[in-house]
Order: sequence, then C-alpha cells, then structure tokens
Amino acid sequence: MGRGYIVDDSVEKYLVSLQTASLSSLTGLLIGQSLPQRDFVVLAVQTPQKAKSESDPSERKPVHSLCDIDTEWVTQHAKQVSWTLPGGLSVLGVFLITPPDLEKEAQNTLRRLVFSVEKLISKGRLWSLNEDDVSERVGLHICSKTRRAVCRTFDVQDAKSSAKPADWKYQHGVSDSWLVLKCSVELHVRFPTPDITLENLEKSTKVSLQKWGNQIESSICLVNGVRVSSDSELISGQKKNTKAFPSNLRAQILIHNVRKEVRTCASVQVCGGVLALRGVVHCRAYIHSNKPKAKQAAEALKRDIMNTVSYRTEMFFEDLLMSEADGERGILGQKQPLPQRVFASVPGAGFCVCDYMFPDEGTAEVKERLKETLDCDIPEEEVDLTQEVIAGELLLDLTDSLGGGGNPIDPLFNLKYICLCWTVGGNPHKHGNHTHTPHKLSRGCTSTTSRNPAIHTVLQCHLHLCSFYSLCQII
Amino acid sequence: MVVEKHVMFRVRGGLDFTCQLDRTDESYVKQTLGKAFESVRSAVRSPSLVFGVQNSPVFLWPNRSLQATRQGVTENTTCRELQQHIQINEGDSGKRSSKKKDKKDGTTSIINVDLLTEVTEPVLCSAPMLFRQEGKHHFVKMKLPADCVVSAHMDETIGDVCTHLVEALCTQLTNMEEVVLRHRSGTSLPIPEPFHFLLPEPVGLITAVYPAGVPDTQLEPVRKELHRRLELPDDRSCMRRANAYHFPDEPYRDGYLRSPHLALNHPSLEGTKLYLVQGIYSYHHYMQDRMDDNGWGCAYRSLQTICSWFQQQGYVERVVPSHKEIQQALVDVGDKPASFVGSRQWIGSIEVQAVLSHLLGITSKILFVSQGSDLATKGRELANHFSTEGTPIMIGGGVLAHTILGVMWSETSGEIKFLVLDPHYTGGEDLQVITDKVWVTDLKPRLHFSVKCKLSCDIVVFVKTMSYPTLTCLSRAGVVGRGRTSGTNGPTTTSACPSDQGPYEVGCDIIVMSLTPEDQLHFTRIIMCLNKHTRHFKKKFYFLSVKNCIQHA
Repeated sequence: MGRGYIVDDSVEKYLVSLQTASLSSLTGLLIGQSLPQRDFVVLAVQTPQKAKSESDPSERKPVHSLCDIDTEWVTQHAKQVSWTLPGGLSVLGVFLITPPDLEKEAQNTLRRLVFSVEKLISKGRLWSLNEDDVSERVGLHICSKTRRAVCRTFDVQDAKSSAKPADWKYQHGVSDSWLVLKCSVELHVRFPTPDITLENLEKSTKVSLQKWGNQIESSICLVNGVRVSSDSELISGQKKNTKAFPSNLRAQILIHNVRKEVRTCASVQVCGGVLALRGVVHCRAYIHSNKPKAKQAAEALKRDIMNTVSYRTEMFFEDLLMSEADGERGILGQKQPLPQRVFASVPGAGFCVCDYMFPDEGTAEVKERLKETLDCDIPEEEVDLTQEVIAGELLLDLTDSLGGGGNPIDPLFNLKYICLCWTVGGNPHKHGNHTHTPHKLSRGCTSTTSRNPAIHTVLQCHLHLCSFYSLCQII
Repeated sequence: MVVEKHVMFRVRGGLDFTCQLDRTDESYVKQTLGKAFESVRSAVRSPSLVFGVQNSPVFLWPNRSLQATRQGVTENTTCRELQQHIQINEGDSGKRSSKKKDKKDGTTSIINVDLLTEVTEPVLCSAPMLFRQEGKHHFVKMKLPADCVVSAHMDETIGDVCTHLVEALCTQLTNMEEVVLRHRSGTSLPIPEPFHFLLPEPVGLITAVYPAGVPDTQLEPVRKELHRRLELPDDRSCMRRANAYHFPDEPYRDGYLRSPHLALNHPSLEGTKLYLVQGIYSYHHYMQDRMDDNGWGCAYRSLQTICSWFQQQGYVERVVPSHKEIQQALVDVGDKPASFVGSRQWIGSIEVQAVLSHLLGITSKILFVSQGSDLATKGRELANHFSTEGTPIMIGGGVLAHTILGVMWSETSGEIKFLVLDPHYTGGEDLQVITDKVWVTDLKPRLHFSVKCKLSCDIVVFVKTMSYPTLTCLSRAGVVGRGRTSGTNGPTTTSACPSDQGPYEVGCDIIVMSLTPEDQLHFTRIIMCLNKHTRHFKKKFYFLSVKNCIQHA
C-alpha cells in the first residue's frame, strides 16, 4: 500500500470536464497539502495553452506522441502556480490525460514532468526540508476514453526511484474547513553590495535573504499568543466542539537574537551601495482541519513568510532585467515598491490563493492572471487588496524617523500607533460582498469602506497620522 | 529548607549592530557609531522586544505594557509566582530524582531570559519597499553579545524586573559603545563582551565590558580604573576575564567539571577544622581530550588540574597544557630527550615542577615525606597552605599521583583527613559518580603503596611569586608531588632534588627515602649513570638495574 491521496470531489469534476473537452493529451498540476501520513488534493489545474495554439484553438491537432509535451512550459507553469499558493499548499504532482493508445508512454512522461517540476519549484528556496517532509510526488494518469485513473508516486529525492502505486480516493468536502494561520511580518533587511550593477545587487540580495530566511526558520511561532509544543495538536482543548472551531488563528513570529562568539571584531565589507528591504508582508498558512499538528502549521507559515519575500524579490529582479533587455536601463529608483500581495478565495473552497500585483497593475490584471495560471474564475471584486497596504510618503517618512534611531519611542505613542495600524492593516474583514462595513477607528470616529479599499485604507492611515500628530502635541 | 529571598534574572542575546562608515576621522566615526548604538538602544526599547523565560512557556513584552503569553502572568505577578511556571531541567537520570526536591530552590535562583524580537504585529504597516543607497563605504556589522543580570526580591513584580532589565540592557549598550570607541582602530571595531564578576559584599555582582581579542595584559589601565572605582585591593586580580563569575546553572563550554568538591557533604570530625582549596579549578582525569592515558597520565592530569587553577584565578592566561605540550616543555628545558614528546611515559613531581616553572612561570617548593603515613604529620603545613595560598596540591607516591584539595585537621589531636581528587577516574563527567568516596582518612588506600610494598612518597610544595606589571598578585603556593618510590629492602636510595635536571627517564619505579645530602648526591649519580646505559629500557628493567646498580655501588 503506497501513499494515500484524499482528493476533493471538485477535483474529480474538473478532471472529468477536461476529459470531455478534449480528446488529445493534456497535462496539468495537482495542488494540495502534503502531510506525513497522507496528502490532501484540493485543486487541479491544467497547463495553459501556449499563445500560438490559443490563437486558433480549433486547429489543435490530436497529439499522437507525448514528445510534443513541452516540459519547460509545464514546469514554468508550475512555478507560476506555486507563487499563487499560500503557506500549506503546494504543487503535489502532475496529471496527464491521454488517449488509450498513449498509455504506455505516459508513465515515462509523468516521471519526467514530476522530476523537472520539483526541480524548478525547489530552486531558490530559502528554507530546507526537514525529516517530516515527504519527498514523494504524485503522477496521475487518466485515460481519456475509459476515464481510468492510475495513481503513482515518485520519490523526487532519489533520481533512480521507480514509481510506486498509490491510493487515489475522492471525498466530499476536503477543501472546506481549513484552518488558517495569519500574520504580518515586518521586514528590515539590508543588502550590502559591492556595487549597484543589477547582477551584483541580485547576488547580494540572495545572500542576505538567505541569512534572514535562516532566522525565520529557527524562530519561535506563537499561535493565538501561546507557544505550541511541536508535537501537540494545533488546537487542543477545543476539539470536542468542532462547530466552534476557531478557523482563524493569530500567529506571531519571535526571532532569536543569537549570540555568536566566533569573531573578535565586527565584520567590515567594502560596499558600493546598500539595498534595504523594509515594510510589512502578510503571510498565511492553511492547514487541513483533520487533527493538525502545531509543528506542521508553524512550519507552513514560516515557509510562506520566506517564500513570499523570495518570490517578490525574484519577480522584481526579473522585471528589472526585462526592462534592461528592452533597452531601458534597469536601474532602480531610490524607493521602489515590491509587488503587493493580494488574496482571493477560491470559489467553493475554504482557502485563498494569492497573487502579486505590481504598482501599475489593478485587480483586472490579477483576475486575468489567476484565470490563466489557476484556470479558475475569480470575480474582480473578490480580490482582497487590504492585507498589505501601499503607504504614502508620509508613512514612510515616519518609518524612517522611527526606525533610524533618534529618540526612544514614547510608550504611549506606541500604544496609539499599534491601535491605529491594527485597525488599518490587521483587520481581516471581507471586502468582497460590498456591505458597507462600519469601520471603527481608534479615536472613535467611524467610516465606511468604499469601493476601493486600498485607497481608502491609505486615506485612513493619513487621517490617523494627522489625528495622531495632534494627539502628540496635546500630550 | 531555606527559601531564597532573591532571584537573579539573566538576559542574554545577540543584538544586531550595523553602521556605514565612509570616513575614518574621529568625530565622524564617533557620531556614526553613536547613532548606530542609539538605534540598537531604541530596538531594546521597542515594543517588539520580547523576553523569553527559559524552560517555561512565558514570553514577556516589556515595552508593550508587559504583555505576557501565559494566562495568569501579568505585570503584577511576583517573581515567586513566575518561578512556578519554570520547569526545572533536571538531568534525565533517575538517580537524581531523590535530590530534586532539595535542589529546587537552588536551581531556580537564576531565571534565564532569552532576548527575542517579534517580527509580527508590526508597529507600522506598509507594503515592502526596496530602498537604494549608493556610495562607497564600509558596511560594518556585528552581534553585540548582551548579557545583563538583575537581582530581584522574590516579592518584586515582574513588571518592575522587566523595566530594570531593559534599563540594564541600555546601560550595557552605552558601556559597549564606550569600549568600541576606545579600542577601535580605523574601521575595525572590536566586539564588546560583557563579563560578570562576583565581588565581596557590598559590591556583589558587577559587569564589565571588555573588547574581544584584546588580551588582559593590555587592559590593565581599564582594570586599574575599575579597581579604584570599586575600592578593590591592588594585589589581587579580581577583574580579569578569568575571574569572571560562573553562573551555577551554566555548563562550562570546555566540558570539564569545575570544583567537584563543592558538591560534597563534608564529614564532621570533632575538633577538626576544614581547610580547602580557594577558588575554582577544573577536574582533569584519565581519558579526557580523546587521550588514552589510562595507566600513565595521572601526574599529567594532576598537573593540568593545578594549571587550571592558576588560569581560572586569573594568574596566567595560558590555557591548560596538553600532554604533548607538557612533554615538549620538558624537552625544551632539557629535562628530557626529544623522543619524549608523544611517548607514554610517566612524569613525577620534579617534572611537574619544571613544567610549572617553564610554562606558567611559577616557582614551587617540594615537601618530602619519607612514608605515606608520615603525611599525617604534615597537617599543620597543609592547613597553613590551604588557608594562605589555597592552591591544589599534587601528591605522588608509588606509581600514582593524586591531587589534594583540602584537609580536615585537628590542631590538638593532629587527626587528619585528606580531600583527594583522583585523576585515575576514567568515566564521564558525572558529578554524582565523582563525588562518591572522595574523603579518605589517610592516603594509604588511595595510593596503594603501603599495602603492596614499603614505599614512601614525597610532596612538592610549589611556592610561586608572580608579579604583573602593576597588579601584583598574591604569591600563591602549589603543592605538587610525585614520589619516586622503590620497593627495595629498607631505606636505600635518595630523592632527586629540584636542582637535579638529570636526564633520567620518567616513570621509573626507583627511589626514595633517605634525605641526607650525601645520599641525594649519591643517588643522582646512580641515576645519571643508569641513564647512560638504560635510557631505552622499559621501566621494569630499570627497577632491576637500579637494584643491581645500587648493590654494585
């Protein structure tokens, strides 16, 4: 008996719809949560068509050989998909739908795809695998005629491993009732660099991010304000009453300030410039509610923190390189925002996916991109922009004056300030359904959320700062 | 059961320090460093600072109106109540469980606190931005090893304690800043390291910050200043790094046990008084340092224990010498041939004396005792030694060497017990095992010589006078001894005197007993003669040869 895959029946529906839609071969990805005991599959996504065939879909010829499958295209897609996944969810493997005559070839193709997908996804990761991580990935073959599904797993750690049979079982409601751990992480990372050529910037960024990542990896995670021991269950004591399940858990990350005693003097690096990454990223991890272990939840959240930062810097440099290739000098400005993370809940599922929005983009682009990568329709207004706030100059200047030394911060000042930020950034109310939620502000005035929450939040922020400044003066 | 009234909070952690230097002129550097230190201080005062109480689920946010993770822990919780949340990390062996209850108060008298930073629930919210700064400069980065201790009354609230801890951290950062400014050269900044010193009342525990990598000898002006400020005597080193207070709950990094005799319950003997070694030493014994010296290294180990004493009291900075270093030193002083290095040959009291003198600059004295039982007559001398000098004593007899850590002596009856540290121990660093059977009534059973054959032993007392350029240390005496004993019929030969640098082999089973100068000379000659012929012989051959030689002579 191999690994067991518990698959949401929505995945079955989706796969069936693909089988009926085309008679040719088709690839796609399987997404879900991998746990030591079993995997939960909650989403299947077909590989999008390449642009040229899209121009004339009717001309799509039946594929007679699986050699036509573009491995690079599939792996690139897998990478795009993994960028849209919050913590706890990952690409678990590949599916392949072929006509019966190609069945024999399918196993080899699946193997090739599974290995190369894994290779690309794990590249540039800031975290390392631990003993609980499962190195088996799934390869699902479906015959387009008989609809027979054959599920096998490949050990991606072992290049010579052979396929093992696995159990593929559909179940209702696998993608409901997920627990979510949320937190916003403040970044303050500096990347000293020998000079500010793009190449060196990228390199130095990677080096410093890795160090930062190690800190996050070894950090302490508190859930709902309590440190959870590694082997305990995520929610103890509340199991009996599953109805009152707290699906939303507040996570806190505490970083160890470790003493290093190897050196006798400070390290000195001759630099031509420094990049600093500052700001707050919103992170999430989804955990299946079937006896979740605290350790896995914390691990998933930490990985999300590391991933979201590394994805964004990667995107950012990719973007710079592209504009450099376009002839523009890919030099970055004094202050440059990284792409903003936005969330959207998957229709009919208990979890969200995310996307990264460049400053010049809007929700329409997000919708389009999610449609393309995840093959699911998410209404534009379902896109939640509020988890991360692009702040105006005022806020940044204040950040500078607070963070860069100067006067010790008055405790009262902080208290007010935390209140303020909490109301602005940390309050996860839904904007999708357009009810004008009354939004209580820290100084008693109320406001309603407008159609564009992002702008509104910034406005609130400014409003608050003003009131706050006057408050300071009063004090 | 004595209930402690005070508890110590010790907070430790590495604080990130970064600064950018593009010039090296004094005022600029001073200003830049000042700013950088100020931002570390503001990090310590920031609401994201977290104190993690070790061995407990309690986390405290001292700057966030003392938020705590544990329900029931608030600002007004007293230290005594906080202790209830701390689990004592007792070793896993079942043997100790009986002791658990007695030790409870002792082990928790220090509450260790980790310095953490919360990165979530940020003060400010703005999506991530990249900031670019151009320009050539030196990017300087280090971890400041903060280490602060605050003593609190059991009834004090943790709110107050946390406030004190934050203050202490800020003060320490200011001290670090001074040290860095004082000892920097160019863009090279030394890492400031705090050390705690336990001084006699009323001073108590104080902390000094020294720059890493700068040897104690160069820090003399700093220490002088401290001595003056704290009104410490100038003839004793109190503030060297080696004098640093060692917290009882902290394992030594080198893995050696420290002063194991402190864990003993001393037997009571009417009319006697206890005279013990002063200060701290580490216990060196067989099979340590991945060195299989079982059967031949006892004197080396005893010597190491003595060296550790001198090092840990701050008299010398030299680390405890290895077997090889000891052997090399003996070759260097001309006492041994070059082939001695790396061999498994014994050494005796004379060699120990030579090594102490050569490597540590310590002069020493040898006490001779004609017989093991005669050692009992040296009670007054030993008691006097422990009360004035306080160093461990090496005692040798037969094939064995031991270390005496103290005596229990009655001035009236002359009754005496010796506290012996046995280097022949081959087990692990388990205090429980080691502290069994340390007190012996007399040395016979430990040294075996009286039973097997009529041997004797001699004790070497090392008296050393070391002076440092300004801070003169007390002269400390060490006693070392390794009797060269022989099982010949009756008193025959002599003991080698300290001036004798003869090329005799180590570990020979010859010797002893007559103390007349003529005999000494006589014996030296014999040995010298012997060595010419039998240098490469094993010690058993020696034994025979000596007899023959003596008979012949």
